Amino acid sequence: MSTETENEHEPLASDTQQVVVPEQYRKSAVPPAMKTIIELKGVTKTFVRGKEPLTVLDGLTLDVHEGAFEALMGPSGSGKSTLLNLIAGLDRPTSGSAKVAGNDLSTMSDGDLARFRSRHIGFIFQAYNLMPVLTALENVELPLLLTKLGSADRKKRAQTALRVVGLEDRMGHYPRQLSGGQEQRVAIARAIVNDPTIIVADEPTGDLDRKAADDILTLLTKLNQEFKKTILMVTHDPAAADRATATRHLNKGKLE
Amino acid sequence: MSGLFLIAARNLGRNWLRTILTVLGAAVALIAFVMLRTVLSSWEVGAEYAAKDRLGTRHKVSFIMQLPKRYIDDIRNVPGVKQATWANWFGGKDPGKPNEFFATLAVDAPSFLPVMDELVLDEESKTRWLGDKKGAIVGDVLAKKLHLKVGDKYILQGSIYPGDWEFQIDGIYTAARKSLDRSQFLFHWQYMNDLLPEARRDTIGWVMTRVDDPSKSADISAKVDKIFDERDTQTVTMSERNMQLSFMAMFGAILTVLDIVSIIILVIMLMILGNTIAMGVRERTREYAVLRAIGFLPWHIRFFVLGEAVVLGIIAGAVGVGIAYPFVNGLMGKAIEENMSAWFPYFRVEPQVAIAAGVIAVVLATTAALIPAIQAGRISVTDALRRVG
Repeated sequence: MSTETENEHEPLASDTQQVVVPEQYRKSAVPPAMKTIIELKGVTKTFVRGKEPLTVLDGLTLDVHEGAFEALMGPSGSGKSTLLNLIAGLDRPTSGSAKVAGNDLSTMSDGDLARFRSRHIGFIFQAYNLMPVLTALENVELPLLLTKLGSADRKKRAQTALRVVGLEDRMGHYPRQLSGGQEQRVAIARAIVNDPTIIVADEPTGDLDRKAADDILTLLTKLNQEFKKTILMVTHDPAAADRATATRHLNKGKLE
Repeated sequence: MSGLFLIAARNLGRNWLRTILTVLGAAVALIAFVMLRTVLSSWEVGAEYAAKDRLGTRHKVSFIMQLPKRYIDDIRNVPGVKQATWANWFGGKDPGKPNEFFATLAVDAPSFLPVMDELVLDEESKTRWLGDKKGAIVGDVLAKKLHLKVGDKYILQGSIYPGDWEFQIDGIYTAARKSLDRSQFLFHWQYMNDLLPEARRDTIGWVMTRVDDPSKSADISAKVDKIFDERDTQTVTMSERNMQLSFMAMFGAILTVLDIVSIIILVIMLMILGNTIAMGVRERTREYAVLRAIGFLPWHIRFFVLGEAVVLGIIAGAVGVGIAYPFVNGLMGKAIEENMSAWFPYFRVEPQVAIAAGVIAVVLATTAALIPAIQAGRISVTDALRRVG
């Protein structure tokens, strides 16, 4: 999981700063928490619904260090998903600056944002969002289609990712043949197959029962602790937030 | 790229029933299109396969007006004319089968056979016919339909030339070229002429001429018409191809309607495909948003939609042409050639029509997918991810 992906996208300006560290180095020498990987300063996000502007994030400032596993909690409408979308490069702030993995997202074009996402972000959604016509292995292989890897290498990497999430015996299964927990594991494998800098998870256990949710949280903890992945997780579940190394609360667009 | 195309194709398996119904709908439209185009191309087959060294001379006003029989001698004397023959449209019917249509022509057999050399008649039948004033020959398709064989007596009821006309079948001909109607009834002009009242005698319907050099056809045609310019009955002479086309022009409105209908069928097909593709795209908005989220670009999403449409078009084209080709050539074509040979002596799907139908299926499917593809590439990722379901 630690080898760098050959990406067909043009290198981003800050890619030289985001070095994928070899496995042995990651686990020992430099404490990853020392480096700020997400840096938001005075971020405001305003939507216009009808004629009325609606401020969802209000001058928000946030620093997240590399290797952190942070939970983001707050009532519905507090701006959690909007914040996650901004960090993941799915949206741009109305004002303020958002630097993620060394990239200033507020100034990037749509194409550059797409390339940023494919290189740096792994997504985990509440509803898994797997493609039903593809097998587990093919779903995991999807992000690798954007790289220059050959078919055999893509398959090998997807198999490795599925082994990490404990689904090596379900590679040929379609999503409809899997349980909710297994589907979410496939989604996690898809999120990590490109060796992203940050994993963003939006209610990853929201559709799961307690047992399956615990399994998913254990897996996320493993990714954070063993593979040193920075994880940012939006959740309503206090039990899920307990597994994170830090929890932030968002209310009316401001961090408390 | 192949990986992306594979995913695009796999999307067709998402809803098998819808895919199958769409393919069948498009295939039925293609079958109808192929059949209509075959009607149009078969209609023109006479002109297409017309002899290049043959000219036709008719009354300047209309086909139905008669020419004096003596014109044939004048035409034969025009330099460059090798042979000439004539014929009259008799308009006879089988009294027992008045609704059965077939061409009945009074011809000058000794000159008709060398000029119309695509008519194949064995020597024995030929000798018998030339020596039998009441003799007639029929095409093999007509003989089969009317259960006629050599030696049979046969009565035609005349409409243009009233009365019951008795003949003996002396031979059954076949065709060496697709353009020859194999359901004609041909008999001696002299036999008819002798039995006509004095006032109606010695007139002919048209003259068919063979020329030495086809490249001089226009020149010879002008010379022929010039001879009769100052006479009571003027003529118009043209190549056999143009003569066929001018005859077909009488049915121009029908052909135009068929042309328009075939285009309407394609428009219907476009709508069927467009609706299916648009539905699929609408249902997959969230999936496309996920793909965009993980780094796929708008053109990738458009590629998925268009790729799926191309595969759908290929399948619909293969099914449509795959059914239409054997159906028209194996069943329908034979039935039409046997029953409507006067209009469609050769009714088969031309390879270029089949190829065009296949290409049209792919082009239409791609066209139908253009707008959904553009829209899919423009989706707002955050809005689409927020949607439920």
